[in-house]
Amino acid sequence: MRKIILFLIVGILFSSPCSKAVILGKDLPAIHGFWEADYGYRIGRDTTKRDDYNLLEQRLQLKSRYYPKSFLADWNSEFFFRGDWTVDEYFSGKTDFDVREMNFSFTPNDFMDVKLGRQILTWGTGDYLFINDMFPKDYVSFFAGRDDEYLKQPSDAVKFSFYPKIASIDFVVISRFEPNTHAEGDRLSFFDSFQQGIAGTNSDRDLLEPPHQMSNSEYALRIYRNLGRNEAALYYFHGFDKSPRSYKNELARQLYYERVDIYGASIRGPFFSGIGNAEAGYVNSRDDHNGSNRLIENSMFKALVGYSKDLGNDLRVGFQYYYEQKLDYDNYRNNLLPTDYFWDQYRHLVTNRITKLFKNQTVMLSLFTFYSPSDRDGYFRPSISYDVTDHLKAILGANVPWGNDEITEFGQMKKNKNVYMRVRYSF
Amino acid sequence: MFRKISSVFILCLFLLSIPAYSADLTVGRIVDKANKVAYYEGNDGMAEVNMEITDSQGRKRIRELTILRRDVQDGGEQKFYVYFYKPEDVRDMVYMVWKHLGKDDDRWLYLPALDLVRRIASSDKRSSFVGSHFVYEDVSGRGIDEDTHELTGEENGCYKIKNVPKNKDNVEFSYYYIWIRKDNFMPVKAEYYDSQGKKYRVIEALKVENIQGYPTITEMKASDLNTGGSTVITYNKIQYDINLDDNIFTERFLRRPPLKWIKRK
Repeated sequence: MRKIILFLIVGILFSSPCSKAVILGKDLPAIHGFWEADYGYRIGRDTTKRDDYNLLEQRLQLKSRYYPKSFLADWNSEFFFRGDWTVDEYFSGKTDFDVREMNFSFTPNDFMDVKLGRQILTWGTGDYLFINDMFPKDYVSFFAGRDDEYLKQPSDAVKFSFYPKIASIDFVVISRFEPNTHAEGDRLSFFDSFQQGIAGTNSDRDLLEPPHQMSNSEYALRIYRNLGRNEAALYYFHGFDKSPRSYKNELARQLYYERVDIYGASIRGPFFSGIGNAEAGYVNSRDDHNGSNRLIENSMFKALVGYSKDLGNDLRVGFQYYYEQKLDYDNYRNNLLPTDYFWDQYRHLVTNRITKLFKNQTVMLSLFTFYSPSDRDGYFRPSISYDVTDHLKAILGANVPWGNDEITEFGQMKKNKNVYMRVRYSF
Repeated sequence: MFRKISSVFILCLFLLSIPAYSADLTVGRIVDKANKVAYYEGNDGMAEVNMEITDSQGRKRIRELTILRRDVQDGGEQKFYVYFYKPEDVRDMVYMVWKHLGKDDDRWLYLPALDLVRRIASSDKRSSFVGSHFVYEDVSGRGIDEDTHELTGEENGCYKIKNVPKNKDNVEFSYYYIWIRKDNFMPVKAEYYDSQGKKYRVIEALKVENIQGYPTITEMKASDLNTGGSTVITYNKIQYDINLDDNIFTERFLRRPPLKWIKRK
């Protein structure tokens, strides 16, 4: 409780208009951010947990930027910092400090930008679906009910952007591998093949990250340009799967992140008085090129198409269809052992987003739905938010994953259904 | 929130007006000139925009943004770059519009916390502009071919023109009057009427200043007579003909704002 009060005080302190100057002096950079309290109450039955909450935290996010003088000023350079201080009551009041972004950007000449340091990276055309965006994501935040911004995790990277006339180019070098954050059993239960079912805190698998070596650097490339009113892009990624889908050592319960190369393309533009998009990618599983190793993820083809439309009166809808196919499925199936869990060759997924605003756009009703006819599972994400003032926002929402099986993407999350509330004060 | 920003548009369109000749003009010429005066002046420009939205209970909300505008062709296509400062939860978001004639505009929204460039479908031009009492069309302009126009008289140095929509299905009004100054063809007031002939909405220029030789509306107000709410827009630090690079209106500068023009605080 004392921590909450402390956060409140700090939040209020920073929010008053004169405080910045008083505390920091006139020439120092301005500080903005928010204070937020998140509460998520589990409504799914989960006997592996003693607690009924799966989200119980406060956070203070501060962001600031600084423009250096001297020759760096001619380079339009900027230091940027954004970090979260959290008190996680779920883990007995554990405090944490998470640097979301800390980077230096500059423009050494007209046709080039550089961004160096910790940064959030996003590209591609999907809505909550990613094919060519291989930058790390936090699915624990996503399923627990944190703000959308926490779906994206930072990368420690250098991004070079080039702007020749013919097309724009982004080239990202990631020196330190950062995996996706997935359910591990404590906050969220999930399917653990070693436990032969949905596991909670009993999960004891070991996830092996690639060692920090020069040869394990990841590279991501995007080349994009406008074609008429459409935006077209080509993608290449060389690195590791961001989710631990392959087995290193079954007896030791070790999983690892297999090497992948991804080649992809996307297009987005006006379509039937809305916006249409399409994206595809070929994933080459380099450690298992012909797919015959039952322990390593198969090579895959992934594609999605989407359409969104403004129906008027602040009502918007969007639809997506996503397709995934394992490419060396016969080799994979032929090498399975009788006791193995195995994955289907095809996955079909449809999504729907519907958003409606009320009361001078201060109230937002939103529902995002995933449904997979092939996996027979799905996930509802309803929410209602209200801007109480320009600074204060309250959100009530729910996470409702469901499924017939325990092994599928959403089915394995079915014990994590929750209702959450967030209150955010921005300054 | 996305929608809130998505309807943002081009406020600096009202900023300029070129002195014109007062002569015997057909209503078509008047409306055409007023459209050009209100929405197409200079090659480019910028302004800091402050909006104060007052709801029916007197509660106030503030929007603060910087707008960069560039005309691709005078009287034709335009590009806009909108950087948000307030409210705080949309600070540093960027909204970009490529305005087209005769088809839907292209719009993008950049969300910095996600490093996400989102393309926005926006076909409803009568929806609220960032939650204010202005609608998209008030600030981006309504196609003059979408209404029939009738000169109904002259008042206080203005032409008074009645406008009736040709297609009533996609608008909430039944007709509206607009007052256009005779000396410079600047539209200074509009009144909207519903199907019962009741006036329910008024837009008016509150302050006109001379900036770089152009008479410019620097303050305007939209009032909703049904609910009692209103919004006042104030333009500050207006500059014209600043030679904005066409490249500013691309994804590169969505992700990395042009510091020369956008003073991030």
